[in-house]
Amino acid sequence: MARSDDGIRILQGLLVFGNVVIGMCGIALTAECIFFVSNPHGLYPLLEATGNDDIYAAAWIGIFVGFALLALSILGIVAVIKSNRTLLLVYIILMLITYAFEMASCITAATQRDFLTPNLFLKQMLERYNKSEAVNNNDKRMTEGVTKTWDKLMLQSQCCGVQGPTDWQDYTSAFRTTHSDADYPWPRNCCVMNAQGSPINLDGCKLGVPGYYNSNGCYDAISGPMNTHAWGVAWFGFAILCWTFFVLLGTMFYWSRVEY
Amino acid sequence: ALLPYVPRVPPTALPGKVTATTFALEMPCCVFDGHADASDAVWLVVAFANASDAFRNPPSRDDVPLYQRLPTAHSYMTLETAAAAYACPAPSTAVLRVGGDTACGGQGGRDPCNGPLPSPGPYRVKFLVMGCHGPKAETRWSDPILLRRAASPSTIDPAPARRDSAAVVVASILASLGAALAAAVLGAVGAEVWESLCRRDPGNGPFAHRSYRTHHIPLALPQPLPPGCRCSPPGLGCFAPRPPGPCPAK
Repeated sequence: MARSDDGIRILQGLLVFGNVVIGMCGIALTAECIFFVSNPHGLYPLLEATGNDDIYAAAWIGIFVGFALLALSILGIVAVIKSNRTLLLVYIILMLITYAFEMASCITAATQRDFLTPNLFLKQMLERYNKSEAVNNNDKRMTEGVTKTWDKLMLQSQCCGVQGPTDWQDYTSAFRTTHSDADYPWPRNCCVMNAQGSPINLDGCKLGVPGYYNSNGCYDAISGPMNTHAWGVAWFGFAILCWTFFVLLGTMFYWSRVEY
Repeated sequence: ALLPYVPRVPPTALPGKVTATTFALEMPCCVFDGHADASDAVWLVVAFANASDAFRNPPSRDDVPLYQRLPTAHSYMTLETAAAAYACPAPSTAVLRVGGDTACGGQGGRDPCNGPLPSPGPYRVKFLVMGCHGPKAETRWSDPILLRRAASPSTIDPAPARRDSAAVVVASILASLGAALAAAVLGAVGAEVWESLCRRDPGNGPFAHRSYRTHHIPLALPQPLPPGCRCSPPGLGCFAPRPPGPCPAK
């Protein structure tokens, strides 16, 4: 019958188009997740030291899911054009597995974002920055990572502390045990530096005279990239999954209509 | 002579003006004009707030209590400066930092030491002009200055205040989509399996199909009539002719 033939042709065309979109989104997802995993802002040591770097795990899963989506979309196009029931069934099952992984990655990235509060980084900064004794090698490595990251962050973003330099005054810290309050009300990198890397006015910095010290907190410089990372993985993955849902439903309907 | 000037912490917003071991004071510019010669020394007296009333000005420079005596005498004098440094006109934006010198104080020397304050206080300060023959002028005592007390970082609670609703929405939508897909696949595959099972089982239910074998039925050709038979319909056999019977009475 011509009408149902036309209908099947239209469905085939739609499914091929849907799979093309899935393939391209898979490439984009892989690229985005590789970008995040490559740690462009150098903030990974802070996340690692919190003991909960799930958004990096979500990005790693995203890389492999992206590849899988690309391969499966090609398989899907071949299966739909050849109208082969076995290939279609294989495609559906493999897509479901990939769907499950991407769901996990998305939900993880979305829920872990809440975990990154200012207090989390404040506590970590106070307890780890410039800590002199380490419990074991792993602890030492994380402490060094945190210290180097904070030093670089304070210099590059011209900021001090999480909410401001007063963080160093309001709380005792590992830094305070080795650096006296009179000489170092806050770390040296909070001071405005000249081209050679030394403070332009050390006494002004210690007193907190505007222009000689960094008065902003670093939380925006930390949470901005991390939120972008988490939301990028979560929302893009969510969009891909919504699209894939409809393509899969269409493929299942097509599979049930294909004769042996 | 008692000068009416009251030393105070600068009112400007400087985050480092009071720390855990130091504090800053406005410079007493133009305060000592007329009361001090250029050769006199202006000292800063630092005392615990509860010991300030008991402080007696030292009669000579040799009796000046130094930084090391703070724990016992509850007061000390520091920041010995020539009176000319506070003369008009002077840089009005400068501040004095009490407790900023970490390199002194350990050796028990005779030089005045501006070492870090050992406890949060509160402290009261006043300026004292010492001449060659003893104290010449003094300012009033300041208000009590309380230094910062730092809390322990273990009091910081890193837990998030509330769950972000967008994450819940994303999670629930994804979970329901996944469940719908799984149900659809199971349903489709299950229906196929059910249909193929029913096709293999003959004679049951309305979906059963019997297989028929077609028989080829040979056509029966008309046989030639034996001689002597006439007009009898084929297949009925053949009757021999009989003379006609008497006609029935009219």
